[in-house]
Amino acid sequence: MPPPLRLNAVAFVSPQNHPILIRTFSQSREDELKYHYIAHTSLDVIDERIMAAVAAKSNDPYLGLLYVEDVAVYGYMTPLKVKIIITLELTDAVVKDIDVITIFRALHTAYRRSVGNPFLRLNTPAENITDHSILVSAGSPRWKAFRKRIDEIGKAVSGIA
Amino acid sequence: MATPAAKQYKTLGEEIWKGRAEKTNAELFALTYGALVVQLIQDYEDYEEVNKQLEKMGYNIGTRLIEDFLARSNLGRCADFREVGEVVAKVGFKSFLNISPTVTHGGQPPAASPTRASTPQPAAPGSSFTLTFDENPLAEFVELPEEALEGGLWFSNIYCGVIRGALEMVQMQVQATFISDVLRGDESTEIRVTLSKYLEEEVPVGDD
Repeated sequence: MPPPLRLNAVAFVSPQNHPILIRTFSQSREDELKYHYIAHTSLDVIDERIMAAVAAKSNDPYLGLLYVEDVAVYGYMTPLKVKIIITLELTDAVVKDIDVITIFRALHTAYRRSVGNPFLRLNTPAENITDHSILVSAGSPRWKAFRKRIDEIGKAVSGIA
Repeated sequence: MATPAAKQYKTLGEEIWKGRAEKTNAELFALTYGALVVQLIQDYEDYEEVNKQLEKMGYNIGTRLIEDFLARSNLGRCADFREVGEVVAKVGFKSFLNISPTVTHGGQPPAASPTRASTPQPAAPGSSFTLTFDENPLAEFVELPEEALEGGLWFSNIYCGVIRGALEMVQMQVQATFISDVLRGDESTEIRVTLSKYLEEEVPVGDD
């Protein structure tokens, strides 16, 4: 049985490159900042990949392995340009693309469900909807369900073979 | 308790649901209702008032919905309030929302006669039934913020209005209120419907 994929961290970034939610599953606290940094540097790589994808006329949301820096970083872009970045621990086993895509789909669904919450609009009445501050507020500590769903996905990933 | 009548209602509900030519996308429905509730909160800024408005809206919907319901289901008058509960849960909610809340009957006032065939009075005022919802299509994406929890918002209060409006058009005055809601952190979502009185045949009140 191949070793489980260890999901270290998940980051959601808004179209304006504001962080929506960054969640880490590793044990140590000081690593959290490291994942903030990794998410940030991934943004440049993502931009490159997007330009390449547009040139190749592919509409694939999955951006593949972005780079490796003692963890493997994968990227995914939703149709509304929200970026999802995950870091997996490096293992010797081959990591199948399809597994990573499945993880991204689950994360995307969790995000979509949370953004569907009508109460996100409640405290931003005067703002323009396209302001995306609403999307960003989806990750705030007020809305616990989003975090819980992400945590469950994290646990499920570590539990599968 | 699957009495033959209960099974009939269940099948009837399913048939009507399947027979509907036009169904709506559930996500669209949930998002529309959510936007409506949030707009009401922004307009009234008082959760009790929002509850009342939702109930009023539901009442208006219910008074018209009952026509559609009776036309499709072809059901006659219910023998007693118990049967009303069964029909509302198994045929009503099933045919419109494709959900099947469970019914618990309760609150029979002590003077009520146990046999339904012999009494002319179908049920004494004060009888009630409780609908327990294990799924709620309106609350698909919803997470209540703390102010709504503290303010006492019943997110799906429109259901209470619909039940009240529909039953009033068939000569029953009832009170329908939420007892618990999973959105509020309770274990289940429940509505209690209590019969206030039977209405005499009257000229219907004009719409306001």
